[in-house]
Amino acid sequence: MNHKTRVYENVFEMLPSEENPTPLVRLNKLNQCAEFPLYAKLEWMNPFGSVKDRAAWELLRDIEERGELANGRGIVEPTSGNTGISMAAMARARGYRLLAIVPNKVPLEKKVLLKIVGADLEVISDELCPAPGLGDGSINLAKTHAKASAHKYVMPNQYENSKNVEAHIKTTGPEIWKQTEGRITHLFASLGTCGTVTGISRFLRGKNPNIKVIAVQPSEGHDVPGLRNVSQLGVSKLFDSSLVDDILEIDFHLAYTRALELCQNEGLLAGPSSGLIVEGALEIVRRDKRGYGVMIFPDNIFKYTSNMMKHIPGLSSGLQP
Amino acid sequence: MTNYSNPEVLVETDWVKQNLGNLGIKFVEIDVDTKAYEAGHIPGAVGFNWQTQLQDQVRRDIISKEAFEKLLGDVGISPNDTVVLYGDNNNWFSAYGFWLFKIYGHKDVRLMNGGRGKWLNENDKPLTTEKPRIVPTRYEAAAPDPGLRVMLPQVLQAKNCNLVDVRSNDEFTGKVIAPPGMSETAQRGGHIPGAKSVPWNTAVGPDGTFKSAEELRAIYVNQKGVDPKKDSIAYCRIGERASHTWFVLKYLLGLPNVKSYDGSWTEYGSIVGAPIEK
Repeated sequence: MNHKTRVYENVFEMLPSEENPTPLVRLNKLNQCAEFPLYAKLEWMNPFGSVKDRAAWELLRDIEERGELANGRGIVEPTSGNTGISMAAMARARGYRLLAIVPNKVPLEKKVLLKIVGADLEVISDELCPAPGLGDGSINLAKTHAKASAHKYVMPNQYENSKNVEAHIKTTGPEIWKQTEGRITHLFASLGTCGTVTGISRFLRGKNPNIKVIAVQPSEGHDVPGLRNVSQLGVSKLFDSSLVDDILEIDFHLAYTRALELCQNEGLLAGPSSGLIVEGALEIVRRDKRGYGVMIFPDNIFKYTSNMMKHIPGLSSGLQP
Repeated sequence: MTNYSNPEVLVETDWVKQNLGNLGIKFVEIDVDTKAYEAGHIPGAVGFNWQTQLQDQVRRDIISKEAFEKLLGDVGISPNDTVVLYGDNNNWFSAYGFWLFKIYGHKDVRLMNGGRGKWLNENDKPLTTEKPRIVPTRYEAAAPDPGLRVMLPQVLQAKNCNLVDVRSNDEFTGKVIAPPGMSETAQRGGHIPGAKSVPWNTAVGPDGTFKSAEELRAIYVNQKGVDPKKDSIAYCRIGERASHTWFVLKYLLGLPNVKSYDGSWTEYGSIVGAPIEK
Protein backbone atom coordinates (compact mmCIF):
# COMPACT_ATOMS: atom_id res chain seq x y z
CA MET A 1 0.00 0.00 0.00
CA ASN A 2 1.41 3.35 -1.01
CA HIS A 3 -0.80 6.40 -0.68
CA LYS A 4 1.73 8.58 -2.48
CA THR A 5 1.79 6.54 -5.65
CA ARG A 6 -1.73 5.27 -5.05
CA VAL A 7 -0.82 1.73 -5.92
CA TYR A 8 -2.73 -0.83 -3.91
CA GLU A 9 -2.78 -4.60 -3.60
CA ASN A 10 -6.54 -4.70 -3.09
CA VAL A 11 -9.44 -2.29 -2.97
CA PHE A 12 -9.70 -2.35 0.82
CA GLU A 13 -6.31 -0.65 1.12
CA MET A 14 -7.92 2.40 -0.46
CA LEU A 15 -10.35 2.86 2.43
CA PRO A 16 -9.95 6.24 4.11
CA SER A 17 -7.76 7.04 7.08
CA GLU A 18 -5.80 9.94 8.50
CA GLU A 19 -3.03 9.05 6.02
CA ASN A 20 -5.46 8.65 3.13
CA PRO A 21 -8.25 11.16 3.70
CA THR A 22 -11.05 12.02 1.34
CA PRO A 23 -10.43 15.49 -0.15
CA LEU A 24 -11.59 18.81 1.28
CA VAL A 25 -12.55 21.25 -1.46
CA ARG A 26 -13.47 24.88 -0.87
CA LEU A 27 -16.67 26.37 -2.27
CA ASN A 28 -15.81 29.43 -4.34
CA LYS A 29 -19.05 30.50 -6.01
CA LEU A 30 -21.90 29.58 -3.70
CA ASN A 31 -20.10 30.98 -0.68
CA GLN A 32 -17.96 34.05 -1.16
CA CYS A 33 -17.60 35.02 2.48
CA ALA A 34 -13.82 35.33 3.00
CA GLU A 35 -14.23 35.31 6.78
CA PHE A 36 -16.13 32.03 6.72
CA PRO A 37 -14.76 29.59 4.13
CA LEU A 38 -16.72 26.40 3.58
CA TYR A 39 -14.92 23.20 2.66
CA ALA A 40 -16.73 20.17 1.28
CA LYS A 41 -15.44 16.76 2.29
CA LEU A 42 -15.99 14.68 -0.81
CA GLU A 43 -17.06 11.34 0.53
CA TRP A 44 -17.86 9.97 -2.89
CA MET A 45 -14.10 9.69 -3.39
CA ASN A 46 -14.24 6.63 -1.14
CA PRO A 47 -13.66 3.40 -3.10
CA PHE A 48 -17.27 2.24 -2.94
CA GLY A 49 -18.70 5.66 -3.59
CA SER A 50 -20.05 7.19 -0.41
CA VAL A 51 -19.51 8.13 3.23
CA LYS A 52 -21.05 4.76 4.07
CA ASP A 53 -17.81 2.98 3.15
CA ARG A 54 -16.58 3.93 6.60
CA ALA A 55 -19.41 2.45 8.63
CA ALA A 56 -19.88 -0.52 6.30
CA TRP A 57 -16.24 -1.51 6.65
CA GLU A 58 -16.24 -1.16 10.43
CA LEU A 59 -19.47 -3.15 10.75
CA LEU A 60 -18.30 -5.84 8.36
CA ARG A 61 -14.91 -6.25 10.04
CA ASP A 62 -16.61 -6.47 13.41
CA ILE A 63 -18.95 -9.33 12.47
CA GLU A 64 -16.13 -11.03 10.59
CA GLU A 65 -13.83 -10.88 13.61
CA ARG A 66 -16.54 -12.16 15.90
CA GLY A 67 -16.91 -15.21 13.64
CA GLU A 68 -20.49 -14.37 12.76
CA LEU A 69 -20.01 -15.14 9.08
CA ALA A 70 -18.88 -18.76 9.41
CA ASN A 71 -20.63 -21.70 7.70
CA GLY A 72 -21.95 -19.76 4.77
CA ARG A 73 -23.95 -17.32 6.88
CA GLY A 74 -24.80 -14.10 5.08
CA ILE A 75 -25.69 -10.56 6.07
CA VAL A 76 -29.10 -8.89 6.18
CA GLU A 77 -29.27 -5.12 6.49
CA PRO A 78 -31.93 -2.42 6.07
CA THR A 79 -30.53 0.28 3.84
CA SER A 80 -31.60 3.24 1.79
CA GLY A 81 -28.87 2.30 -0.64
CA ASN A 82 -25.42 3.57 0.17
CA THR A 83 -24.66 1.29 3.12
CA GLY A 84 -26.01 -1.61 1.13
CA ILE A 85 -23.91 -0.79 -1.93
CA SER A 86 -20.72 -0.42 0.12
CA MET A 87 -21.38 -3.42 2.31
CA ALA A 88 -22.56 -5.71 -0.48
CA ALA A 89 -19.54 -4.89 -2.66
CA MET A 90 -17.19 -5.45 0.28
CA ALA A 91 -19.00 -8.61 1.35
CA ARG A 92 -18.98 -10.16 -2.12
CA ALA A 93 -15.29 -9.37 -2.50
CA ARG A 94 -14.69 -11.25 0.76
CA GLY A 95 -16.97 -14.14 -0.13
CA TYR A 96 -20.22 -13.39 1.68
CA ARG A 97 -23.74 -12.64 0.48
CA LEU A 98 -25.86 -9.70 1.55
CA LEU A 99 -29.63 -9.35 1.56
CA ALA A 100 -30.54 -5.66 1.41
CA ILE A 101 -33.98 -4.63 2.69
CA VAL A 102 -34.74 -1.48 0.78
CA PRO A 103 -37.61 1.01 1.14
CA ASN A 104 -39.45 1.46 -2.10
CA LYS A 105 -38.73 5.20 -2.21
CA VAL A 106 -35.03 4.54 -2.76
CA PRO A 107 -34.05 5.80 -6.24
CA LEU A 108 -34.07 3.26 -9.02
CA GLU A 109 -30.36 3.82 -9.66
CA LYS A 110 -29.49 2.67 -6.15
CA LYS A 111 -31.67 -0.42 -6.40
CA VAL A 112 -30.03 -1.40 -9.67
CA LEU A 113 -26.57 -0.67 -8.27
CA LEU A 114 -27.29 -2.94 -5.32
CA LYS A 115 -28.03 -5.74 -7.74
CA ILE A 116 -24.97 -4.91 -9.85
CA VAL A 117 -22.66 -5.21 -6.84
CA GLY A 118 -24.23 -8.54 -5.99
CA ALA A 119 -26.75 -7.83 -3.24
CA ASP A 120 -29.97 -9.79 -2.99
CA LEU A 121 -32.78 -7.28 -2.85
CA GLU A 122 -36.06 -7.18 -0.94
CA VAL A 123 -37.98 -3.99 -1.66
CA ILE A 124 -40.78 -3.03 0.67
CA SER A 125 -43.30 -0.26 0.91
CA ASP A 126 -42.03 2.00 3.64
CA GLU A 127 -44.50 4.83 3.53
CA LEU A 128 -47.00 3.53 6.02
CA CYS A 129 -47.39 6.34 8.57
CA PRO A 130 -44.45 5.27 10.75
CA ALA A 131 -45.77 4.82 14.26
CA PRO A 132 -44.09 6.46 17.22
CA GLY A 133 -41.21 4.37 18.44
CA LEU A 134 -41.58 1.71 15.81
CA GLY A 135 -38.75 1.05 13.44
CA ASP A 136 -39.23 1.56 9.76
CA GLY A 137 -40.70 -1.41 7.97
CA SER A 138 -37.32 -2.15 6.42
CA ILE A 139 -35.59 -2.28 9.81
CA ASN A 140 -38.23 -4.59 11.25
CA LEU A 141 -38.18 -6.89 8.25
CA ALA A 142 -34.39 -7.17 8.46
CA LYS A 143 -34.67 -7.90 12.19
CA THR A 144 -37.27 -10.54 11.41
CA HIS A 145 -34.93 -12.33 9.00
CA ALA A 146 -32.06 -12.12 11.47
CA LYS A 147 -34.21 -13.55 14.27
CA ALA A 148 -36.26 -16.16 12.39
CA SER A 149 -33.39 -17.28 10.14
CA ALA A 150 -30.42 -16.74 12.42
CA HIS A 151 -28.57 -19.65 10.78
CA LYS A 152 -28.71 -17.79 7.46
CA TYR A 153 -28.28 -14.15 8.42
CA VAL A 154 -26.50 -11.83 10.78
CA MET A 155 -27.70 -8.22 10.94
CA PRO A 156 -25.00 -5.59 11.59
CA ASN A 157 -27.77 -3.00 12.16
CA GLN A 158 -26.25 0.35 11.25
CA TYR A 159 -29.05 2.10 13.18
CA GLU A 160 -28.04 0.70 16.56
CA ASN A 161 -24.47 -0.56 16.22
CA SER A 162 -21.88 1.64 17.94
CA LYS A 163 -19.31 0.51 15.35
CA ASN A 164 -21.04 2.92 12.98
CA VAL A 165 -20.06 5.78 15.32
CA GLU A 166 -16.59 4.35 15.94
CA ALA A 167 -15.84 4.39 12.22
CA HIS A 168 -16.05 8.18 12.28
CA ILE A 169 -14.16 8.53 15.56
CA LYS A 170 -11.35 6.50 13.97
CA THR A 171 -11.30 8.03 10.51
CA THR A 172 -13.47 11.02 9.55
CA GLY A 173 -12.86 13.02 12.73
CA PRO A 174 -9.04 12.69 12.71
CA GLU A 175 -8.94 13.35 8.96
CA ILE A 176 -10.81 16.64 9.34
CA TRP A 177 -8.71 17.73 12.31
CA LYS A 178 -5.48 17.06 10.42
CA GLN A 179 -6.68 18.49 7.10
CA THR A 180 -7.85 21.75 8.68
CA GLU A 181 -4.84 21.89 11.02
CA GLY A 182 -7.28 22.31 13.87
CA ARG A 183 -8.88 25.43 12.38
CA ILE A 184 -12.36 23.98 11.96
CA THR A 185 -15.05 25.94 13.84
CA HIS A 186 -18.21 24.49 12.32
CA LEU A 187 -19.11 20.99 11.17
CA PHE A 188 -22.13 20.51 8.90
CA ALA A 189 -23.64 17.06 8.43
CA SER A 190 -26.97 15.51 7.61
CA LEU A 191 -28.90 13.07 9.76
CA GLY A 192 -29.53 9.51 8.65
CA THR A 193 -28.38 6.76 10.97
CA CYS A 194 -26.62 9.64 12.80
CA GLY A 195 -23.39 7.63 13.01
CA THR A 196 -21.53 10.30 11.02
CA VAL A 197 -22.57 13.31 13.08
CA THR A 198 -22.23 11.50 16.42
CA GLY A 199 -18.79 10.04 15.64
CA ILE A 200 -17.22 13.14 14.11
CA SER A 201 -18.68 15.40 16.79
CA ARG A 202 -17.39 13.17 19.56
CA PHE A 203 -13.87 13.25 18.12
CA LEU A 204 -13.74 16.94 17.25
CA ARG A 205 -15.31 18.07 20.52
CA GLY A 206 -12.59 16.11 22.28
CA LYS A 207 -10.03 18.25 20.45
CA ASN A 208 -11.89 21.53 20.75
CA PRO A 209 -15.11 21.71 22.75
CA ASN A 210 -16.04 25.01 21.05
CA ILE A 211 -16.54 23.49 17.61
CA LYS A 212 -20.14 23.96 16.57
CA VAL A 213 -21.88 20.93 15.14
CA ILE A 214 -24.79 21.72 12.86
CA ALA A 215 -27.12 18.95 11.73
CA VAL A 216 -29.22 19.60 8.69
CA GLN A 217 -32.48 17.80 8.12
CA PRO A 218 -35.04 17.86 5.33
CA SER A 219 -38.55 19.16 5.96
CA GLU A 220 -41.20 16.63 6.94
CA GLY A 221 -42.63 14.51 4.15
CA HIS A 222 -39.33 14.85 2.31
CA ASP A 223 -38.00 12.95 -0.65
CA VAL A 224 -34.27 12.96 0.04
CA PRO A 225 -33.08 9.34 0.19
CA GLY A 226 -30.97 8.36 3.17
CA LEU A 227 -31.90 11.30 5.36
CA ARG A 228 -34.28 11.63 8.26
CA ASN A 229 -36.43 14.35 9.64
CA VAL A 230 -36.18 14.62 13.43
CA SER A 231 -39.70 13.17 13.66
CA GLN A 232 -38.24 10.00 12.10
CA LEU A 233 -35.15 9.86 14.28
CA GLY A 234 -36.69 7.45 16.78
CA VAL A 235 -35.38 4.63 14.63
CA SER A 236 -31.74 5.58 15.15
CA LYS A 237 -30.27 4.75 18.52
CA LEU A 238 -27.08 6.59 17.57
CA PHE A 239 -28.42 10.14 17.75
CA ASP A 240 -27.02 12.08 20.71
CA SER A 241 -28.53 15.54 21.00
CA SER A 242 -25.76 16.66 23.39
CA LEU A 243 -23.30 16.42 20.49
CA VAL A 244 -25.29 18.70 18.19
CA ASP A 245 -25.62 22.48 18.62
CA ASP A 246 -28.28 23.21 16.04
CA ILE A 247 -30.65 21.17 13.95
CA LEU A 248 -31.70 23.13 10.88
CA GLU A 249 -34.81 22.10 9.01
CA ILE A 250 -34.50 22.90 5.32
CA ASP A 251 -37.23 22.74 2.68
CA PHE A 252 -36.27 19.49 0.98
CA HIS A 253 -36.76 20.87 -2.52
CA LEU A 254 -33.67 23.02 -1.89
CA ALA A 255 -31.62 19.83 -1.62
CA TYR A 256 -32.19 19.35 -5.33
CA THR A 257 -31.75 22.95 -6.46
CA ARG A 258 -28.57 23.37 -4.41
CA ALA A 259 -27.21 20.07 -5.74
CA LEU A 260 -27.77 21.39 -9.24
CA GLU A 261 -25.93 24.61 -8.36
CA LEU A 262 -23.02 22.62 -6.96
CA CYS A 263 -22.82 20.66 -10.20
CA GLN A 264 -23.16 23.65 -12.48
CA ASN A 265 -21.24 26.35 -10.60
CA GLU A 266 -18.65 24.62 -8.45
CA GLY A 267 -17.89 21.59 -10.60
CA LEU A 268 -18.75 19.43 -7.62
CA LEU A 269 -20.99 16.60 -8.76
CA ALA A 270 -22.71 16.33 -5.40
CA GLY A 271 -25.96 14.57 -4.57
CA PRO A 272 -29.08 16.07 -2.99
CA SER A 273 -28.07 15.49 0.64
CA SER A 274 -24.97 17.61 -0.05
CA GLY A 275 -27.26 20.26 -1.50
CA LEU A 276 -29.26 20.28 1.70
CA ILE A 277 -26.09 20.64 3.77
CA VAL A 278 -24.88 23.58 1.65
CA GLU A 279 -28.16 25.38 2.22
CA GLY A 280 -27.85 24.88 5.98
CA ALA A 281 -24.20 25.94 5.98
CA LEU A 282 -24.97 29.16 4.08
CA GLU A 283 -27.62 29.95 6.67
CA ILE A 284 -25.01 29.64 9.43
CA VAL A 285 -22.45 31.69 7.47
CA ARG A 286 -25.01 34.52 7.41
CA ARG A 287 -25.71 34.05 11.11
CA ASP A 288 -22.21 33.60 12.56
CA LYS A 289 -20.29 35.70 9.99
CA ARG A 290 -16.87 34.22 10.84
CA GLY A 291 -15.63 30.68 10.94
CA TYR A 292 -14.08 27.75 9.14
CA GLY A 293 -16.67 25.24 8.05
CA VAL A 294 -16.42 21.64 6.95
CA MET A 295 -19.39 20.03 5.23
CA ILE A 296 -19.73 16.28 4.85
CA PHE A 297 -20.85 15.61 1.27
CA PRO A 298 -22.12 12.03 1.53
CA ASP A 299 -22.26 10.99 -2.12
CA ASN A 300 -22.35 12.21 -5.71
CA ILE A 301 -25.16 12.95 -8.12
CA PHE A 302 -24.91 9.84 -10.31
CA LYS A 303 -27.36 7.80 -8.24
CA TYR A 304 -30.02 10.49 -8.30
CA THR A 305 -30.76 11.30 -11.91
CA SER A 306 -34.33 9.99 -11.59
CA ASN A 307 -34.94 12.03 -8.41
CA MET A 308 -33.41 15.11 -10.01
CA MET A 309 -35.75 14.75 -12.99
CA LYS A 310 -38.66 14.59 -10.56
CA HIS A 311 -37.70 17.72 -8.66
CA ILE A 312 -35.92 19.96 -11.17
CA PRO A 313 -38.27 21.25 -13.86
CA GLY A 314 -36.73 21.08 -17.27
CA LEU A 315 -34.35 18.18 -16.72
CA SER A 316 -36.72 15.70 -18.28
CA SER A 317 -37.38 17.72 -21.41
CA GLY A 318 -35.31 17.60 -24.59
CA LEU A 319 -34.10 14.08 -23.96
CA GLN A 320 -35.65 12.62 -27.09
CA PRO A 321 -34.78 13.41 -30.73
CA MET B 1 -54.43 -2.94 32.14
CA THR B 2 -57.34 -3.59 34.51
CA ASN B 3 -58.53 -0.02 34.14
CA TYR B 4 -59.69 -0.73 30.57
CA SER B 5 -63.40 -1.38 30.23
CA ASN B 6 -62.74 -4.78 28.64
CA PRO B 7 -59.21 -5.77 29.66
CA GLU B 8 -59.76 -9.37 28.53
CA VAL B 9 -59.40 -8.38 24.83
CA LEU B 10 -55.74 -7.47 25.23
CA VAL B 11 -52.84 -9.80 26.00
CA GLU B 12 -49.20 -8.94 26.58
CA THR B 13 -46.25 -10.43 24.72
CA ASP B 14 -45.12 -12.28 27.88
CA TRP B 15 -48.57 -13.90 28.15
CA VAL B 16 -48.28 -15.04 24.53
CA LYS B 17 -44.87 -16.56 25.16
CA GLN B 18 -46.20 -18.44 28.17
CA ASN B 19 -49.11 -19.77 26.11
CA LEU B 20 -47.22 -20.94 23.02
CA GLY B 21 -48.31 -24.48 22.25
CA ASN B 22 -51.51 -24.21 24.30
CA LEU B 23 -54.00 -26.13 22.17
CA GLY B 24 -57.01 -23.94 22.88
CA ILE B 25 -55.20 -20.77 21.86
CA LYS B 26 -54.65 -19.92 18.21
CA PHE B 27 -52.32 -17.18 17.06
CA VAL B 28 -52.97 -15.31 13.83
CA GLU B 29 -50.65 -12.74 12.22
CA ILE B 30 -52.17 -10.12 9.92
CA ASP B 31 -49.78 -7.53 8.51
CA VAL B 32 -49.85 -4.50 6.27
CA ASP B 33 -46.62 -5.83 4.76
CA THR B 34 -47.76 -9.14 3.40
CA LYS B 35 -44.15 -10.40 3.21
CA ALA B 36 -43.58 -10.14 6.94
CA TYR B 37 -45.24 -13.42 7.99
CA GLU B 38 -43.16 -15.48 5.57
CA ALA B 39 -39.97 -13.84 6.82
CA GLY B 40 -40.71 -14.91 10.40
CA HIS B 41 -43.66 -15.34 12.75
CA ILE B 42 -44.55 -16.46 16.25
CA PRO B 43 -44.14 -20.25 16.45
CA GLY B 44 -47.47 -21.90 15.71
CA ALA B 45 -49.07 -18.75 14.28
CA VAL B 46 -50.91 -18.80 11.00
CA GLY B 47 -50.86 -15.78 8.69
CA PHE B 48 -53.77 -14.13 6.93
CA ASN B 49 -53.25 -11.89 3.92
CA TRP B 50 -55.56 -8.88 4.28
CA GLN B 51 -55.61 -8.25 0.56
CA THR B 52 -56.52 -11.73 -0.63
CA GLN B 53 -58.10 -13.47 2.37
CA LEU B 54 -60.02 -10.83 4.31
CA GLN B 55 -61.56 -8.98 1.37
CA ASP B 56 -64.10 -10.23 -1.13
CA GLN B 57 -62.12 -10.62 -4.34
CA VAL B 58 -64.95 -9.52 -6.65
CA ARG B 59 -67.03 -6.76 -5.08
CA ARG B 60 -65.71 -4.27 -2.52
CA ASP B 61 -66.74 -5.82 0.79
CA ILE B 62 -65.58 -7.90 3.70
CA ILE B 63 -65.50 -11.63 3.02
CA SER B 64 -68.81 -13.47 3.23
CA LYS B 65 -69.83 -15.62 6.19
CA GLU B 66 -69.10 -18.73 4.12
CA ALA B 67 -65.64 -17.47 3.17
CA PHE B 68 -64.90 -16.57 6.80
CA GLU B 69 -65.96 -20.07 7.90
CA LYS B 70 -63.74 -21.67 5.28
CA LEU B 71 -60.79 -19.40 6.14
CA LEU B 72 -60.94 -20.28 9.84
CA GLY B 73 -61.78 -23.94 9.29
CA ASP B 74 -58.85 -24.36 6.90
CA VAL B 75 -56.38 -23.11 9.51
CA GLY B 76 -57.85 -25.20 12.29
CA ILE B 77 -59.66 -22.57 14.34
CA SER B 78 -62.80 -23.61 16.24
CA PRO B 79 -65.50 -21.26 17.53
CA ASN B 80 -64.49 -22.03 21.11
CA ASP B 81 -60.80 -21.26 20.60
CA THR B 82 -59.17 -18.22 22.06
CA VAL B 83 -57.75 -16.35 19.04
CA VAL B 84 -54.89 -13.92 19.56
CA LEU B 85 -54.26 -11.56 16.67
CA TYR B 86 -51.11 -9.57 16.10
CA GLY B 87 -49.48 -7.71 13.24
CA ASP B 88 -47.19 -4.97 12.06
CA ASN B 89 -47.82 -1.22 12.14
CA ASN B 90 -49.11 -1.40 15.70
CA ASN B 91 -51.76 -3.96 14.84
CA TRP B 92 -53.49 -2.02 12.05
CA PHE B 93 -54.75 -4.99 10.11
CA SER B 94 -54.90 -7.31 13.08
CA ALA B 95 -57.36 -4.79 14.58
CA TYR B 96 -59.25 -5.02 11.29
CA GLY B 97 -59.15 -8.80 11.70
CA PHE B 98 -60.43 -8.43 15.28
CA TRP B 99 -63.35 -6.39 13.94
CA LEU B 100 -64.06 -9.06 11.32
CA PHE B 101 -63.92 -11.86 13.92
CA LYS B 102 -66.41 -9.91 16.05
CA ILE B 103 -68.68 -9.23 13.07
CA TYR B 104 -68.95 -13.00 12.57
CA GLY B 105 -69.50 -13.60 16.26
CA HIS B 106 -66.23 -15.18 17.43
CA LYS B 107 -66.47 -15.06 21.20
CA ASP B 108 -62.92 -14.95 22.47
CA VAL B 109 -60.65 -12.89 20.24
CA ARG B 110 -57.83 -10.74 21.57
CA LEU B 111 -55.06 -8.47 20.36
CA MET B 112 -51.42 -8.83 21.37
CA ASN B 113 -50.50 -5.45 22.82
CA GLY B 114 -47.72 -3.78 20.85
CA GLY B 115 -48.09 -6.12 17.89
CA ARG B 116 -45.28 -7.82 16.02
CA GLY B 117 -42.94 -4.85 16.48
CA LYS B 118 -42.89 -5.30 20.23
CA TRP B 119 -42.44 -9.07 19.97
CA LEU B 120 -39.65 -8.64 17.44
CA ASN B 121 -37.72 -6.23 19.62
CA GLU B 122 -37.85 -8.34 22.77
CA ASN B 123 -34.84 -10.63 22.90
CA ASP B 124 -36.56 -13.53 24.62
CA LYS B 125 -39.36 -13.84 22.03
CA PRO B 126 -38.75 -16.41 19.29
CA LEU B 127 -39.64 -16.15 15.62
CA THR B 128 -39.70 -18.95 13.10
CA THR B 129 -40.16 -19.49 9.39
CA GLU B 130 -41.66 -22.95 10.00
CA LYS B 131 -45.23 -23.41 8.90
CA PRO B 132 -47.51 -24.53 11.74
CA ARG B 133 -49.04 -28.01 11.74
CA ILE B 134 -52.74 -27.58 11.04
CA VAL B 135 -55.70 -29.88 11.64
CA PRO B 136 -58.59 -28.35 9.70
CA THR B 137 -61.88 -27.85 11.52
CA ARG B 138 -65.46 -27.11 10.56
CA TYR B 139 -66.10 -23.56 11.67
CA GLU B 140 -69.62 -22.18 11.97
CA ALA B 141 -69.88 -18.42 12.19
CA ALA B 142 -72.79 -16.29 13.35
CA ALA B 143 -74.70 -14.01 11.00
CA PRO B 144 -72.84 -10.71 10.59
CA ASP B 145 -73.43 -8.32 13.48
CA PRO B 146 -74.81 -5.08 11.97
CA GLY B 147 -74.01 -3.24 15.20
CA LEU B 148 -70.29 -3.01 14.47
CA ARG B 149 -70.26 -1.68 10.95
CA VAL B 150 -71.71 1.40 9.33
CA MET B 151 -72.42 1.85 5.63
CA LEU B 152 -72.43 5.02 3.52
CA PRO B 153 -76.19 5.84 3.73
CA GLN B 154 -76.02 5.80 7.54
CA VAL B 155 -72.90 7.96 7.47
CA LEU B 156 -74.61 10.51 5.26
CA GLN B 157 -77.56 10.61 7.65
CA ALA B 158 -75.50 10.50 10.83
CA LYS B 159 -76.42 13.28 13.19
CA ASN B 160 -75.62 13.83 16.80
CA CYS B 161 -72.87 11.21 16.85
CA ASN B 162 -69.09 11.30 17.23
CA LEU B 163 -67.41 11.04 13.85
CA VAL B 164 -63.75 10.24 14.47
CA ASP B 165 -61.35 10.68 11.56
CA VAL B 166 -58.25 8.66 12.46
CA ARG B 167 -56.10 9.52 9.43
CA SER B 168 -53.04 11.75 9.48
CA ASN B 169 -53.46 15.50 9.70
CA ASP B 170 -52.51 15.95 6.05
CA GLU B 171 -55.25 13.56 4.98
CA PHE B 172 -57.78 15.24 7.27
CA THR B 173 -57.05 18.69 5.88
CA GLY B 174 -57.04 17.45 2.30
CA LYS B 175 -53.39 18.30 1.70
CA VAL B 176 -53.01 14.71 0.53
CA ILE B 177 -55.72 12.23 -0.44
CA ALA B 178 -53.74 9.23 0.80
CA PRO B 179 -50.35 8.69 2.44
CA PRO B 180 -47.54 8.69 -0.14
CA GLY B 181 -47.20 5.42 -1.98
CA MET B 182 -50.68 4.12 -1.22
CA SER B 183 -52.52 2.79 -4.22
CA GLU B 184 -56.07 3.06 -2.81
CA THR B 185 -57.18 6.63 -3.15
CA ALA B 186 -60.23 8.87 -3.68
CA GLN B 187 -61.36 11.61 -6.04
CA ARG B 188 -61.28 14.39 -3.45
CA GLY B 189 -59.35 15.24 -0.28
CA GLY B 190 -60.70 16.49 3.03
CA HIS B 191 -62.95 15.04 5.71
CA ILE B 192 -66.58 14.36 6.53
CA PRO B 193 -68.15 17.56 7.89
CA GLY B 194 -68.18 17.60 11.67
CA ALA B 195 -65.54 14.88 12.06
CA LYS B 196 -62.97 15.22 14.82
CA SER B 197 -59.37 14.56 13.87
CA VAL B 198 -57.74 12.04 16.21
CA PRO B 199 -54.97 10.22 14.31
CA TRP B 200 -54.93 6.52 15.20
CA ASN B 201 -51.41 6.64 16.62
CA THR B 202 -52.56 9.02 19.35
CA ALA B 203 -53.70 5.86 21.13
CA VAL B 204 -50.30 4.20 21.41
CA GLY B 205 -47.07 4.86 23.29
CA PRO B 206 -43.46 4.72 22.08
CA ASP B 207 -43.32 0.92 22.35
CA GLY B 208 -46.50 0.52 20.32
CA THR B 209 -48.66 -0.57 23.25
CA PHE B 210 -51.96 1.13 24.02
CA LYS B 211 -51.94 4.04 26.41
CA SER B 212 -53.70 3.64 29.76
CA ALA B 213 -57.46 4.09 29.98
CA GLU B 214 -56.92 7.35 31.85
CA GLU B 215 -54.65 8.71 29.12
CA LEU B 216 -56.99 7.54 26.39
CA ARG B 217 -59.99 9.11 28.12
CA ALA B 218 -58.11 12.38 28.53
CA ILE B 219 -57.25 12.42 24.81
CA TYR B 220 -60.50 11.29 23.24
CA VAL B 221 -63.06 12.67 25.68
CA ASN B 222 -61.45 15.69 27.33
CA GLN B 223 -59.16 17.01 24.60
CA LYS B 224 -60.89 15.95 21.39
CA GLY B 225 -64.47 16.18 22.60
CA VAL B 226 -65.67 12.66 21.88
CA ASP B 227 -68.93 12.54 23.85
CA PRO B 228 -69.14 9.20 25.67
CA LYS B 229 -72.93 9.41 25.79
CA LYS B 230 -73.26 9.50 22.01
CA ASP B 231 -72.84 6.83 19.35
CA SER B 232 -69.47 6.88 17.58
CA ILE B 233 -68.21 6.15 14.08
CA ALA B 234 -64.52 5.76 13.28
CA TYR B 235 -63.22 6.03 9.73
CA CYS B 236 -59.90 6.24 7.90
CA ARG B 237 -58.97 5.49 4.28
CA ILE B 238 -59.77 1.81 3.75
CA GLY B 239 -60.89 0.73 7.20
CA GLU B 240 -57.82 -0.71 8.91
CA ARG B 241 -56.72 2.27 10.99
CA ALA B 242 -60.39 2.89 11.78
CA SER B 243 -60.57 -0.62 13.27
CA HIS B 244 -57.67 0.28 15.55
CA THR B 245 -59.53 3.31 16.94
CA TRP B 246 -62.84 1.38 16.95
CA PHE B 247 -61.09 -1.13 19.22
CA VAL B 248 -59.88 1.65 21.52
CA LEU B 249 -63.24 3.38 21.80
CA LYS B 250 -65.36 0.24 22.13
CA TYR B 251 -63.22 -2.10 24.20
CA LEU B 252 -60.63 -0.04 26.03
CA LEU B 253 -62.84 2.98 26.82
CA GLY B 254 -66.14 1.11 26.77
CA LEU B 255 -68.07 3.69 24.76
CA PRO B 256 -71.54 2.55 23.75
CA ASN B 257 -72.40 1.73 20.15
CA VAL B 258 -69.10 2.29 18.33
CA LYS B 259 -69.03 1.36 14.66
CA SER B 260 -66.34 1.28 12.02
CA TYR B 261 -67.03 2.80 8.63
CA ASP B 262 -64.83 0.54 6.53
CA GLY B 263 -65.83 2.21 3.27
CA SER B 264 -63.95 5.16 4.75
CA TRP B 265 -62.40 7.94 2.68
CA THR B 266 -61.83 5.88 -0.45
CA GLU B 267 -65.61 5.55 -0.66
CA TYR B 268 -66.76 8.85 0.84
CA GLY B 269 -64.21 10.98 -1.02
CA SER B 270 -65.41 9.62 -4.35
CA ILE B 271 -69.18 10.16 -3.92
CA VAL B 272 -70.61 12.77 -6.27
CA GLY B 273 -72.21 15.56 -4.28
CA ALA B 274 -71.22 14.33 -0.81
CA PRO B 275 -70.43 17.24 1.51
CA ILE B 276 -66.74 17.65 2.32
CA GLU B 277 -64.86 19.93 4.69
CA LYS B 278 -61.20 20.81 4.31
